[in-house]
Amino acid sequence: MAGFWTGMRGIATVPSYVIMQPTTLCNLDCAYCYLPFRAHDRRMPVEVASAVAAAVNEWARLVPRFSVVWHGGEPLAAGRDHLAALMAPFQGVEHHIQTNATLIDDEWCTFLAEREVRVGLSIDGPADLTAQRVNRGGRPAYSQILRGAAALRRHGIPFAALCVVSDPRPGQAARLYEFFLEFGCYALGINVEEREGVNRHDTGYLDDAVRAFWAELTAAWRADPRIELREIEWALRYAGAALAGTDDQLLPRHLDPIPLVTEDGRVVLLSPELAGFTDPHYGDFASGRVTDTPLHEIVAAVAARPDGWIAEYLSGVEACRAQCPYFGFCGGAHAANRYFEHGRFDGTQTDHCRNSKISLLEGVLDHARQA
Amino acid sequence: MPDKPDAQVPEGHPVVTPSPGLVELLAEAQETWVARTRGADERHLAEPAQVLAHEAAAPGWRAFEDAFPTFYQFTNRPR
Repeated sequence: MAGFWTGMRGIATVPSYVIMQPTTLCNLDCAYCYLPFRAHDRRMPVEVASAVAAAVNEWARLVPRFSVVWHGGEPLAAGRDHLAALMAPFQGVEHHIQTNATLIDDEWCTFLAEREVRVGLSIDGPADLTAQRVNRGGRPAYSQILRGAAALRRHGIPFAALCVVSDPRPGQAARLYEFFLEFGCYALGINVEEREGVNRHDTGYLDDAVRAFWAELTAAWRADPRIELREIEWALRYAGAALAGTDDQLLPRHLDPIPLVTEDGRVVLLSPELAGFTDPHYGDFASGRVTDTPLHEIVAAVAARPDGWIAEYLSGVEACRAQCPYFGFCGGAHAANRYFEHGRFDGTQTDHCRNSKISLLEGVLDHARQA
Repeated sequence: MPDKPDAQVPEGHPVVTPSPGLVELLAEAQETWVARTRGADERHLAEPAQVLAHEAAAPGWRAFEDAFPTFYQFTNRPR
């Protein structure tokens, strides 16, 4: 099957979303965080948001839905007034935040509800599994996270959850899923911890353990599928398409450029995790600055004439297409994982591929075979 | 090139092969997706604020996850 796939060729000129960094600051100091400037409060000027909105508002007219994702740092650390000012120039878009939830109170809930902001929380399960999420004094943030989630529930604001799993093995998955059923999220994403950014932990997971983790999670979801479970359902949709012979149609025809705009207006395409880093060979990974060049021109120029690390990454995607039987499921190893694991962008299989793609799909299939 | 091409499936073999267990699992998943969408439709009629859950439950292509599945977006929206 390797080499057969037709999706993910080149870069689309119109993204489906942009990611905004309203501040570099995070009030937490999680042990696995990849962000290099999270202790510094560098806030995005409104002029940067306005420049982004000029392109985004036009893109939003071209597609049924367009999303602006406020990330960080901790986006709520920018403060309500400033975040409101940053959101104001955008028209016809859906706003999203990914938050650690510790700052959410009734006032924030009103803010989120008024703007119909879609909310994703970060929590890693019960208190012992969330122990790496700590404040700047090193104290667990768990109770603050629960308070924020309770405020959202009190206000009837639905929320999704993102869970970083630092020890994927049998026995963990069922416990995690049970926690999130009680937690009240409508959707759940599971990120197996990655060696990325300033997080240099050597994960070193055993393939069999990770695969068994995913199989167990499949069984837990199957027993009570109230939560939309991102990875498992994604794998099931792929498996269904594969049996129907339509799996080559699942991947986008082109790579989404995924523009991330840093607080100072630099644009990092294709891999937001690279923002804030510099490399002697690749530079700062930015493709331009919205205060100098309109965002749509930055994206169009890269799509038409990719060079530097992006050209190298595209050759890596083609290598994945040629070599890997899982390409139709995955679309190629992510740029940041290639860089942080291999030091370059034209390598192929990464630890992330093995833990979160191959073992995921194989674990789901293992469950189906064993059930 | 620092590749570690140790994928689980030999070259030329499909990753997903049919089995009774897989067919049954996929049928259950499909029922879940249909039920979610139907339930969300009913909630939406009663309470428009629930549209978020409805859209999140709808099966289909999900841009954020599939374009960037390790990132932090969970709306699971159809494309």
